Amino acid sequence: MSPALYLGFATLLFGVGLYGLLQRRSLVAMLISLELMLAAVSVNVVALTTLTGHDASMGQVVALILVGVAAAETAIGLSLFVAIHRASHSIDVETLSELKG
Amino acid sequence: MNWAGAVFGASAATALVGAVCAVGLKSIFHNILGFALAMLGVAGVFLSLGSDFLAVVFVLVYVGAVAIAMVYAVMLSVPLDQPARPRSRTKVAGAALFAAIGAAAIWLVVRSAAWPPATGRLDVAAAWAGYRFLRDYVLAFELISVLLVVAMMGAVMVARRSRASAEER
Repeated sequence: MSPALYLGFATLLFGVGLYGLLQRRSLVAMLISLELMLAAVSVNVVALTTLTGHDASMGQVVALILVGVAAAETAIGLSLFVAIHRASHSIDVETLSELKG
Repeated sequence: MNWAGAVFGASAATALVGAVCAVGLKSIFHNILGFALAMLGVAGVFLSLGSDFLAVVFVLVYVGAVAIAMVYAVMLSVPLDQPARPRSRTKVAGAALFAAIGAAAIWLVVRSAAWPPATGRLDVAAAWAGYRFLRDYVLAFELISVLLVVAMMGAVMVARRSRASAEER
């Protein structure tokens, strides 16, 4: 298996996530897209260290740290989402424009 | 085609279908289900790389915890019967264009970089990764613990209704 297959798959996954982050307006959907992009990064790191590296456990360590960071980010993001919804009864990012000058 | 290639093909297709569902469908519940499917696919990709421990962690954390937490947050807040406002075509086209440019740029970098020659798959025992975590990367390990605790406390503080605003109601 060549690493290019895995890198191509991760590129596609990252592109789909980027599209979702730009196109969706719901905060939860944007969070989902962000998680997809982070997963693509994990696939890249693990594929490169496993297939071409000399230290494959390094990739595992980096990917596990990424999982931890993503879990923390989800917890904060979802609580912000609940708080924003309580304050303004909307999660549409285009209506959250109170700070606009 | 060997075993790892078949697993990779099937799970990469699953992950991409799930990702398209997670991004493209209208209903937020369908998005979350598509996200869970995409993460199952990514776990399969890790399995084809021989990282079985990481695959299990992905299923546990993303499918088991993150997706459920998202369902909870949606059920706490979104009026589900309210139809989404239609999206202007130019913004959708712009987002698609920008994402395509980004992915193409990444792919160009991937093609032009000189990767070290493939050495064949190095299987990683979970025990060895754990050994590295508690020897060489113990600081990162502890920082993740601290980060998770702080995130949990912060999430509770942000999401709970403060006493003052509860009395106003």
